[in-house]
Amino acid sequence: MERRDLLKTAGGTFLAATSGVYAFRMLTASSAGWTSPDRQLASRRWGMVIDLTKCRPECTACLDACRTENNVAFHGDERYDIHWIRKAKLRSGEGSVAPEKTMLLLCNHCDKPPCAQVCPVQATYRRQDGIVIVDHHRCIGCRYCMIACPYNARFFNFKDNEEWPNKARPKRSHGVAEACHLCAHRLDQGSMPACVEACDRGGSGALLVGDLSDPGSEISRVVEQTPVKRIRPDLGTDPKVYYVGL
Amino acid sequence: MEMHFESIDGKSRSYQLLLIVLAAFAIAGLVATWWVIKEGIWVTGMTNRIPWGLQIVMAVYYIGLSAGSLVISGLYGVFGKTEYKPFARIAVYLAMLFLVAGLLSILTDQGRMDRVFVEPFVYFNLQSMFSINPILYIGHILICVVYLWALFYEKKRLTTVIATLAFGWAFCVHSGTGAIFGFGARMLYESPLLPASFVAAAMASGTALMIVIIVALFKITNRHVDDELVLWLGRFLSVCLLVVVYFLFAENAYRVYVVELRKAAMYYLFGGFHSILFWGGLVIGGCFIPMFILFRKRTGSSVRWVVFAAVLVDLGVLCERYVIVLPGLTHPPEMFPGMRVIGSPIAEGYVNYAVSVPEILQALGVLAVIGLMFAAGLKIFKLLPNEARISGQHA
Repeated sequence: MERRDLLKTAGGTFLAATSGVYAFRMLTASSAGWTSPDRQLASRRWGMVIDLTKCRPECTACLDACRTENNVAFHGDERYDIHWIRKAKLRSGEGSVAPEKTMLLLCNHCDKPPCAQVCPVQATYRRQDGIVIVDHHRCIGCRYCMIACPYNARFFNFKDNEEWPNKARPKRSHGVAEACHLCAHRLDQGSMPACVEACDRGGSGALLVGDLSDPGSEISRVVEQTPVKRIRPDLGTDPKVYYVGL
Repeated sequence: MEMHFESIDGKSRSYQLLLIVLAAFAIAGLVATWWVIKEGIWVTGMTNRIPWGLQIVMAVYYIGLSAGSLVISGLYGVFGKTEYKPFARIAVYLAMLFLVAGLLSILTDQGRMDRVFVEPFVYFNLQSMFSINPILYIGHILICVVYLWALFYEKKRLTTVIATLAFGWAFCVHSGTGAIFGFGARMLYESPLLPASFVAAAMASGTALMIVIIVALFKITNRHVDDELVLWLGRFLSVCLLVVVYFLFAENAYRVYVVELRKAAMYYLFGGFHSILFWGGLVIGGCFIPMFILFRKRTGSSVRWVVFAAVLVDLGVLCERYVIVLPGLTHPPEMFPGMRVIGSPIAEGYVNYAVSVPEILQALGVLAVIGLMFAAGLKIFKLLPNEARISGQHA
């Protein structure tokens, strides 16, 4: 076979094989879009209120519950540990001696999530009920979502997670991104996220999750009647985590 | 003697030694990539705060390099400068290879490389620059293939059409790559100027690379190239550098002037290792010294000096790619204006990044792979002219 024929045959075979694979996947793929078209979810818009005046600095009930419920990886190395929810301490101004503030940080489940906008495979998307979620079976691990998130709320599985405390929930392999999904699996079944339940059990009652689209819901009442703040709403992301006492 | 294209014999000892060295680096890169796949990306030294590292720096660098190659081929294909016809084939071939290098760098940086070949095309997201860019890159490679075909078969009309398309497409490719960062939410990324400045730096680095490759290749293979052809490219490079410097000034002046960006600008300009690369590697080493060499009559008319300036420009633009990608990550996002984070389980403030051995091996591996493809191309295809003279070229 001449060199030219060989090139032609190789090129033709490659094109036929790849176009076949893509055609099959495109025909069988469900086009989720970065806003899920699930109409059953569309009637709700989940949000969260964190009352920092009730949150006790030494308490870690919500952090522990989240880690156990969702098999969130902890390697003992701050560079690679994953925190769907984390506690930080803030102080106002440079060199200020103002008292510290305890802060709970998690995914803000933005109505205009930059992480979902940049995801090249729509693995991160906003459900119709406002929860921003990651499909770990589709994520290619490009980490563009981590770059785009202005809240440091997204984490990457740099290593495999050895622990698997909750066998009912999946753990992630290394190579995919993740963040808080507001325990969507629990909300879908009518129960509250693990962090909220743990906080209530501990007697603090600092966390409240509810439907922001329902004017009669407790969360709507709190957001309406209490001075609340969100983190950097000026960025235009429409975060849905509200803070009391920030 | 009339100019004609030919392939090299590829039987010399040095050619075979080159292949062995490149193959060794390619294998080392493969082993490093296998290690990353097996263990996870943590072995590269990237962290939750520094999710992108050397591979992304190299990807945008390689993609930029391919631009200048196309510019050189465009001198003949688009602008009809027939004296640059001898370099047209090699320029398009290199443009294609550097795009391949960019894609390989991006591929080997993914957490789940096994999903890269299908998911991005099936679940295409028109709003993501990461979705738009692969289309531009693959289109660029396909255009290069047709362009090469037109050049090989001396299809003059098709060459003009496809060269013009390639020229325009290259602008989209480099603007798109710049937009990955320029349209980002990070304080040191966000800049509508970035796509344009990316094009300017790409043209400079690519032209510089072509100068180095043309001179080296013709010298190694004992071919004649007229000095004036190289010197003209040097003058073109000096104009590119002026544009690069202008964009650098405009971008940084804006950051320093705007109050809310000033602190970040100071960090960028005077905040650590990246600042040394910015001032030493890019501004002084990569722009001002080469411009001095190229604009000065005595040095600007010496091929050796022009090649030296071109090498400096390529190193400078590599530094520029580093300072596009990394400072935007090591600088923390400002989540609580007017407040300080004094305690957190993750690093919320400024962080450091150091290039790791696996990353270097991967980067060298990618370079070696396209080096092998280039060396093989010289032997298989008629890429090289017997000589390159200003007079006596036929369209």
